[in-house]
Amino acid sequence: MTPLAVSLDVFGSLDFWIGVGLLAATYGIFTLGLQLNVGYTGVINFGQAGFMAIGAYTMAILVVEAEISFWLALPASIIVAMAAGLIIGLPSLRLRADYFAIVTIAFAEIIRYTAVNARELTGGSQGIGGFDGAFLDLSDLMLEGLDSFGLGDQFLLPLLIVAIVVFGLLTVGMYFLQRSPWGRVLRAIREDEDAARALGKNAFAYKLQSISIAAALGAVAGWFLALNLAFISPTQFDPLFTFLGYAVLILGGLANYFGVILGAIILWTLLEGLRLMDLPLDASQTAALRYVLVGLVLIGLMAFRPQGMLGKRQEMVLGD
Amino acid sequence: MTEQAEQDQAPEPAADAGADGDAILAVRDVAKHFGGIHAVDGASFEVRRGSITALIGPNGAGKTTLFNIVTGFQRGDRGEVVYDGTSIFRRPPHVIARRRMVRTFQITKALAAMPVIDNMTLAAPDQPGEKLTGLLFRAPAARRREKEVHERAHELLDVFGLREKADEYAGTLSGGQRKLLELARALMVEPRLVLLDEPMAGVNPSLGRKLLDHMHTLRDRDGVTFLFIEHDMDVVMAHSDEVIVMAQGATIASGPPEEVRNDRAVIDAYLGASVGT
Repeated sequence: MTPLAVSLDVFGSLDFWIGVGLLAATYGIFTLGLQLNVGYTGVINFGQAGFMAIGAYTMAILVVEAEISFWLALPASIIVAMAAGLIIGLPSLRLRADYFAIVTIAFAEIIRYTAVNARELTGGSQGIGGFDGAFLDLSDLMLEGLDSFGLGDQFLLPLLIVAIVVFGLLTVGMYFLQRSPWGRVLRAIREDEDAARALGKNAFAYKLQSISIAAALGAVAGWFLALNLAFISPTQFDPLFTFLGYAVLILGGLANYFGVILGAIILWTLLEGLRLMDLPLDASQTAALRYVLVGLVLIGLMAFRPQGMLGKRQEMVLGD
Repeated sequence: MTEQAEQDQAPEPAADAGADGDAILAVRDVAKHFGGIHAVDGASFEVRRGSITALIGPNGAGKTTLFNIVTGFQRGDRGEVVYDGTSIFRRPPHVIARRRMVRTFQITKALAAMPVIDNMTLAAPDQPGEKLTGLLFRAPAARRREKEVHERAHELLDVFGLREKADEYAGTLSGGQRKLLELARALMVEPRLVLLDEPMAGVNPSLGRKLLDHMHTLRDRDGVTFLFIEHDMDVVMAHSDEVIVMAQGATIASGPPEEVRNDRAVIDAYLGASVGT
């Protein structure tokens, strides 16, 4: 073996692609919210991981502690996340975009530290599990069906199918929402809030709606994160994950929901591929190399295609 | 039949334009200070319904601040602003705009990264599709309204000579075209009163003349009232029915252009009065 030999075997395995698919769908849904805020409303939200945490923890706590049905806990967690979005937005969305960004990052950290310290509810840094029984029943049912295709042993495949369907539906839904008169007002606010207000639009109300919908999307992403690992703990809601969402956003292109799909697949193929590829390096070096490479890809993109893969260059240049 | 006949005539009540001389806008003793600077200090005037009224004054007289207070973009310290019979003092801008008072800005606010047509359709009032609940429960009404709005937008773009630019980004327009777009967009709101902040600034003379022609047409045909800030005295004298003069935050004179032109206080304000008199 030469020291530079690299094995690409991992890209041939189904396990790998199921894993990548799940992460891409989870963080894709997560990034749809960022796209709505950043790409279409001009509101910088650095707290998306916080909304994801609220979604995941609310669902888990309601099922495990309150013993509510899993299927009821899902919509309940969306409502809680949206309420959190309103609570964050009400006092701070009147601030300039950069101040709001700071508020959101602080909010996400408050949520994470609460999860670490409210041990009776969240299990602290030990995390919380055992909330996915109802989903596993559904999953088993699907696996029986998949068995006839010889895929009965792919334990995560049902979750992947659900995640892809949900991601697809939400992307298309957001796309049509953006094409509506409602979406047009959002874009006007992104361009120039005062112009929108001078034309009779209540910019503040629209920004609140934008952040609440993003929070709901973050909560949905939180479910899939939780179901993927069958377990949640505070480290999964590190601010880092918000910024991975931004990497997806920039890769795919601002103001294009389909760019989110593309960006999420590329980012997670890169991240997971590098993690599992047989590199002649030790584990800590590979871990560092992943983010070095993502950084290089982003730098390259900024240099040669700053609008991202599906973004519109004119919108970027013209939008002052 | 009668409805048809009515539509064939002026769509807005042009009949009362200037007939009884009532005020569409009354500003009374408005003041606004920033720290120790009294930007507006006791401004009072009225704008007659159906008139084209100019607001003039030396730089720093407080004209734009007054505009901002009237349209809700800044909160006045004291005073009263009555529009069409109701007080709008300290009301938020979008509420004021929905009462059909629109403004433009000194530095044009064309929404650059949006197509021209979207700039126009955005401004239309009463679109149920602008609310999430409206999208869900009143989708057919939203679609119908959208069709009307597009027709109206194309009509106006035709009038303003921007038809072939409809699908281009507003950011690709020239400065003068942006001013025209901003006025056209303001008209989408179906305004009763339009406030223009230096509409002629940075516009080439032929486009400027076009803009002024539109202003007269809209006033004569639709009964729209205009209040505009302008520095070009030839334009003010030739195109306004009434002139309001501000200096150092206060209104110092108002009346027909020829009268204001010879007003002692106005001449002093522009040329500098002798100190201490």
